[in-house]
Amino acid sequence: MKDYSVVGKPLPRVDALEKVTGKAVYTTDMQLPGMLWAKVLRSASPHARILNIDTTQAKRLPGVKAVLTADDTPKIKFSVIPILADQLPLTDKARFIGEAVAVVAAVDEATAEEALELIKVDYEPLSPVFDPIEAMQPGAPRIHEHLESNVARHITLECGNVEKGFAESDYIFEDSFTTHAQCYCPLEPRCTIAAFDASGRLTVWSSTQSPYQLRERLAAACGIPMRDIRVIKPYLGGGFGVRTDMDPMEPMVVFLAKAIGRPVKMVYSREEEFSATRIRHATISEVKIGVKKDGTLMAKQARVIMDNGAYNSHGPAVLSYNSAFFSALYRVPNIKYEGYLVYTNKLYGGAFRGYGDVQATFAQESLMDQVAEGLGMDPKELRLKNVNQPGDITANAVQITSCGLRESIEESAVAFQWEHKPAKKERVGHSRGAGLACGIYTGMGSKGSGNNYSGASIKFDIDGSFMLAMGASEIGQGSSTVLSQIAAEVLGVPIKQINLTETDTDLTPPCMGTFGSRVVYCAGLAVLEAANKVRAEILKIAAEKLNTSVEELELRDGSVSVKGAVNRSLTLAELAKASYYEKDSPIICSGYYNGPYGREFDRVSYYGYPSEALAFFNQIAEVDVDCDTGQVRVTRFAAAHDVGKVINPALAEGQIEGGVVMGIGWALTEDAIFSQGKLVNPNFRDYKILTALDIPEIKPILIETIDPNGPFGAKGIGEAVMIPTAPAVANAIYNAIGVRFKELPVTSEKVLSALREKATKQKG
Amino acid sequence: MSSRKHIVNLIINGETHEVVVESRETLLDVMREKLRLTGTKKGCDEGDCGACTMLMEGRPINSCLVLAVEANGKKILTIEGLAQGLELHPLQEAFVKSGAVQCGYCTPGMIMSAKALLDENADPTEEEIKQAIAGNLCRCTGYVKIIDAIKEAARSAKGGGK
Repeated sequence: MKDYSVVGKPLPRVDALEKVTGKAVYTTDMQLPGMLWAKVLRSASPHARILNIDTTQAKRLPGVKAVLTADDTPKIKFSVIPILADQLPLTDKARFIGEAVAVVAAVDEATAEEALELIKVDYEPLSPVFDPIEAMQPGAPRIHEHLESNVARHITLECGNVEKGFAESDYIFEDSFTTHAQCYCPLEPRCTIAAFDASGRLTVWSSTQSPYQLRERLAAACGIPMRDIRVIKPYLGGGFGVRTDMDPMEPMVVFLAKAIGRPVKMVYSREEEFSATRIRHATISEVKIGVKKDGTLMAKQARVIMDNGAYNSHGPAVLSYNSAFFSALYRVPNIKYEGYLVYTNKLYGGAFRGYGDVQATFAQESLMDQVAEGLGMDPKELRLKNVNQPGDITANAVQITSCGLRESIEESAVAFQWEHKPAKKERVGHSRGAGLACGIYTGMGSKGSGNNYSGASIKFDIDGSFMLAMGASEIGQGSSTVLSQIAAEVLGVPIKQINLTETDTDLTPPCMGTFGSRVVYCAGLAVLEAANKVRAEILKIAAEKLNTSVEELELRDGSVSVKGAVNRSLTLAELAKASYYEKDSPIICSGYYNGPYGREFDRVSYYGYPSEALAFFNQIAEVDVDCDTGQVRVTRFAAAHDVGKVINPALAEGQIEGGVVMGIGWALTEDAIFSQGKLVNPNFRDYKILTALDIPEIKPILIETIDPNGPFGAKGIGEAVMIPTAPAVANAIYNAIGVRFKELPVTSEKVLSALREKATKQKG
Repeated sequence: MSSRKHIVNLIINGETHEVVVESRETLLDVMREKLRLTGTKKGCDEGDCGACTMLMEGRPINSCLVLAVEANGKKILTIEGLAQGLELHPLQEAFVKSGAVQCGYCTPGMIMSAKALLDENADPTEEEIKQAIAGNLCRCTGYVKIIDAIKEAARSAKGGGK
């Protein structure tokens, strides 16, 4: 394995000092002179026509500067996929409890809140529908009148011949699995500030993961030319996908700033962050697997109903990913998939870490465990029998290059001591058990939406240092550090000689955003290209000045020298001066990636899913079930992730640790409880994410497969880290107490109830 | 409707600030919006997440649950008061070196809770560390490297160095 100077080292983050000293400025920390504060009036009805909104009293409250409703806006619908646009920033019809109906800007938050109470809305209640199966039925209340039904997307996919595959199977297993919503809980609440300058140009500071896409979407929704919009992403306190799409907050703040002529800031309360942003899509999956008695998979089939909530957001693509990754995992020649994305009158789903694959993997990996048991086979051996391998093309035409699935399974099993796992299926006292689950996801986003762009540029500064300008969004995952490492490696300098300009649409080359685990690969390739170009230009100058050819030179430790003749060298500072003052040609080069290139794929089912770097992984959980209380504790955890070449092991481990903890939360303790369309637990007391007291011992394992296309061979990891976690935990619970939970979350109430039922059955 | 105004003296990181506050204003809001010390973060404003943790008379508090008037004349330490110029506190140093920071939003509160622990107990067990930060939620790190950092800070403060 090649050893690099900077790449592959666990360097401290480049922004760590700002964060540990409290100096880092987040959008929520910002104030501008003359700034006003905005608050939103939200619908208390899950489904209602808005007949009239009377804002006269609210407008008269001293300190209130503007009150806006839908009629004060251009009413241009938006969504992630423009042709599927179904949403207004301020609505004219309420489709979920919490939807924005009116907005107020005032001198302070307290005054704005008071004004909300003075707004009178006349609603005409309509019949709501909360269950996706009910919503699919003919005659169900129509949530979006411009559509034929509440089915927002329908996917069918057939590969090979499933009838034949099942007919040739020795055994067939089938079952139904239900996954629930999840709340993102980023620590920083969503925040946006909008300000117009004297010439009418707009600047927006926002806690967004995708500033360039936000700029495009604001231009469309607000009717402002894109050239008149600048979007800046300050430090951001977590995203996990909730900040990838435009939120009604962003255009609302722009409308207010335009109407008043002063900067306007809006911050969501924690309650709004829970109940009025997004959630993970809940699913019901019926899965069927056909297998030979030696464990070879012959055919698999899934029928999935996914709860969209009231609006599309990322829903259509999430269902497509559910289809693509259900299908792509394992060597299986015959596949059938049918999926429905259904509107309901609830808070809508968004891009949530793992994006449809989390739901698909829970269903598939739980059923695979049942297959292993049915065949009398070790669950690990069953997976190994069917693993994807480097160079495979899956039945749904996903092209695999680097693949560390086998290694992930084997190495995590060794680290966990899988051969010595507890396996008694007791139901008395404390019972321990272990379970595993593996998976596949993209390591570079995809071109599913039509684009997958990232750009960067590097300026060779007068003193020989480098200014790296990149559009990629640092959201806490460590992209600023990793991308600086890539640049530093190519340019032969320590990381602190790379200065950064980030995520400002006026100053940095465009980047689609941080989502889809795409940044290390896509932005990394852009940085690599820019750095290689700069390096080539520097070597050209050096070759001329040192009277030699470029091939004879090496760039290292801040100097260019002739190989084998270290005294014939020039420092970067000397070469920089030469570029500015002798050559009169400063070196500023850019890089850009928008691949993979030349891929045909189905835009709905994602057959031929356009990613050229797939990530593979296996996780193993050990649980301790208290049979008297039903409480499940995860005690030990091993997580092996194929990341291609790891650029920064400390950051990669951090992603694994954080993802596993988020996955355990989703499996066991996090439950977004909806009652008649209302989220009844929109706070940290009642929606339980793990605290420091709840974490298991976690062993992160980085599998390096060296991807042929990624920067230094790297692939992304950000979402894979929580994709197999819940099925690993559920399989471990089965192993411990012989009860299989097919509906998440596995709360202690459910466990206790199931244990009691089993005990009664045994007695009777 | 305006609430009564008071003049309070807030002693923050060794400096006294005279501020006009309303009865209902929290210490957190006065700190962030009036004094512009934004290192301490607001994550929930209802005492659940710990992002607003600072030390008052040496004890960790959720400043979103303390009224500014209650803090009148009390000695307060925030994240901005930890480093001595460019010299970091061992906890800050450890957080940087151990990879305990991702998005950074929970970090100030986490460090202040850890400081309160180490001031009282210079050699905490892992369980004691977890108890001390149980009220500081983090969504990014899974807490593993945060616990490592606090152990490292305790170790380095004891024997090896600062």
